[in-house]
Amino acid sequence: MTGRPFMEPGLEEPILVIDEGRRDKLPPGKWVRRHLFNSWHNTLVTVLLVLLLGYAAYRFGLFLFVNGRWSPVRRNLTLFMVGRYPREELWRIVAQVVIWSGTIGLAWGVAIAGASFRASQTGVAYREDPLLTKVRRYWGLLGLLLLLLLLTESFGPLILALVAIGVGALLQVIGKRVPGQYADLMWAAVGVLAVGGYQIVSGFHGRGWIWMATPLALGAVRLVGRIAWTDPRRERLMQLGVVAGVFGIGYVAYSMLDLEGVGWDHWEGLHLNLIVATVAIVLAFPLGLLLALARRSSLPALRVMATSYIELIRGVPLISLLLMAQFFIGFFLNTTTPLSALTRAIAAFTLFTAAYIAEIVRGGLQSVPKGQIEAGQSVGLSPFRVTRSIVLPQALRAVIPAMVGQFIALFKDTSLLSIIGMAEILQVRALVHAQAEFRGFGIAETLVFVMLAFWAFSFTMSRESQRLERKLGIGER
Amino acid sequence: MRSMKRLAVLVLGLTLVAAACGDDASGGGDLLADVVERGVVRCGVNDVLPGFGIVDDTGAFSGFDVELCRVVAAGVLGDADAVEFVGLTAGERFTALQSGEIDVLIRNTTWTATRDGQEGATFLFTTFYDGQGIMVPTATGFTSLEDLADANICVLQATTTELNLTAVFNARGIPFNPVGFADNNLLRPAYEEGQCEAWTSDVSQLTAFKATIEGEGGAAQTILPDVISKEPLGPLVRDGDSAWAQAVEWSVMATVQAWEFGIDSSNVAGYTSDDPNVKNFLGVDGFETGIGLPTDFVVQIISQVGNYEEIYNRNLIPIGLPLAGTPNDLWSNGGLMYVPPYR
Repeated sequence: MTGRPFMEPGLEEPILVIDEGRRDKLPPGKWVRRHLFNSWHNTLVTVLLVLLLGYAAYRFGLFLFVNGRWSPVRRNLTLFMVGRYPREELWRIVAQVVIWSGTIGLAWGVAIAGASFRASQTGVAYREDPLLTKVRRYWGLLGLLLLLLLLTESFGPLILALVAIGVGALLQVIGKRVPGQYADLMWAAVGVLAVGGYQIVSGFHGRGWIWMATPLALGAVRLVGRIAWTDPRRERLMQLGVVAGVFGIGYVAYSMLDLEGVGWDHWEGLHLNLIVATVAIVLAFPLGLLLALARRSSLPALRVMATSYIELIRGVPLISLLLMAQFFIGFFLNTTTPLSALTRAIAAFTLFTAAYIAEIVRGGLQSVPKGQIEAGQSVGLSPFRVTRSIVLPQALRAVIPAMVGQFIALFKDTSLLSIIGMAEILQVRALVHAQAEFRGFGIAETLVFVMLAFWAFSFTMSRESQRLERKLGIGER
Repeated sequence: MRSMKRLAVLVLGLTLVAAACGDDASGGGDLLADVVERGVVRCGVNDVLPGFGIVDDTGAFSGFDVELCRVVAAGVLGDADAVEFVGLTAGERFTALQSGEIDVLIRNTTWTATRDGQEGATFLFTTFYDGQGIMVPTATGFTSLEDLADANICVLQATTTELNLTAVFNARGIPFNPVGFADNNLLRPAYEEGQCEAWTSDVSQLTAFKATIEGEGGAAQTILPDVISKEPLGPLVRDGDSAWAQAVEWSVMATVQAWEFGIDSSNVAGYTSDDPNVKNFLGVDGFETGIGLPTDFVVQIISQVGNYEEIYNRNLIPIGLPLAGTPNDLWSNGGLMYVPPYR
């Protein structure tokens, strides 16, 4: 592997060497001398900065491990995690953590299997990241987990963490072992697990069967497609029959089971922040994509609607939208609660973020040269195929950093839920300090704890986006 | 032309959706029946006010106002646990009540004329008589408002407390310097560090903080004898539904009447008396008030939650608020707790 030097005329050395491996091949001692102590003023700056940083680190360490009054966090850890969620139903969240950990593991394994399958088909060797790289990639989250375990007062959370990681690792191995051509079935399984993990808390009842039956039906359709059919019409018929069958069975099963759980209106604490952010991200992305395409559409009505939507939503503060959804919908519709409070809050987050995503994606769409579209048209692709296979892949690739930035902002904005009376993690902090023994006690510590929780997830999102950028070669072309 | 047609279809669709939503609207005006049918009372409370409404580490609500919500549920539904608590901030409480997010608001809300007139809310029986006071470190030696000339006074921003402070000090011609904070968790350390010489708030809150500060080994605190405002706190319901308002009010007042009669949670079961007023009160012999509450609503309230004194002792005595000799004592003891007779 050779580095790519950037030369400046008149200099003997390259000013910058980009290398996937080590940036600098000098031995540590020499590196330090060349970069930190090469002149008297650099030496002075180095010494001063080391002293300053060392003192700051010392004070922070002292605060973290010695002086910090962590008892408000320690005592109320469950409150910070799940808020006022009923304690006798806590097993549901435990099960959810394990199932979703398994879901992530399986998805990860299947993705690796798919990548190596594609690589083998194109004749390129696929190299999986070593374990240490993976650990380094997620050190923010692992650090938060460690902090949580240090703060717990029982072994329950430790066992939960070990079981969850174990299940995730096991399913990852299984996902990797399954041959690449079965990837679609595995993705259906991921979908079923994800829905199951959600419904173990929210309950298996009502309209939940739609969510469960959708991945099952998709998997079943793919399964039917595997059979070598002689008559394509019979294949279509069979697929329709299978879909109808799955939906029918799902409907009957759910109306017979009818197991009530704890609806998401009772989800609080960090659990709520994560759910709201995840759901809003998953919903806002496709909505934003459609809005961006609509805004560039040649149909004036569509364009006007998309543009006015984007400009209207982008022009108002998020908090005003949240308040609107929370307290004023009732006045417009003249009814008390058409949708639950949390559903309306998530709708507000989704609508708000979608407008921003639309503008980010539009930026990406505009960066795709016109020649690309014309090339697609000239080989006779339909407008849909041109957008789907030529424009969008390039446009989305270009806007990953901005998009992830928007998602991180959305995650942090979930702290605004406290203003509309929902006990997300920042509001839990206020609850804790209303308790008699923690009134005005340890207020810095609880704030640091909440900040760390937000930071760990935001940082992990950022690292994932950087990995994606590197993988897709953004910034190098 | 085609896009126009699409637009027309879309508008038509939206209209249909709106119409469908409009049909869902409940007739309104009969919240009591709605609550009974729903089987749960949605009660707006404070979740960060010691003594009145807090959340403990198991996620359960507790406090004086919280127990009054349970009283309403026990009276209306016969089950004190049939309450859905909604933690509300001061800013959103009236909106939540008006828009129907909650059925009743019991969140240390001061009854004032403008609120009664402009917030679309009906104030009911006052359950706690508070007043704005001023706390100073005992070491300062301040004993009256006049001593506070040119002092820095810590106060919560955007509260009636802040307005009232300005009004009272200006009226008396005492120069002062208000230092505003967003919440008590920020105010307390600032006060203890000496950023201000005095802290003004409701006496109930000052008393709670005095106990905490002194309990944690801080400087001794004094609450000045001057009470500079009247703060009657009680439950509120939406304007225009008197059946529901009566149900809430008579449920809450039953705790005071039981206290007056000497009936509490320990002796209410099988309580007998020859006094016809007591018999009526307890619904013996099928006495019916016509308020729309079950005949045994008082028995349910007192057995499941308790009388006013019990509720007060459980929640407000621990934070250092005395009952005897205050306005919150029974009228027969010289206080202001006086309820109409149950007959």
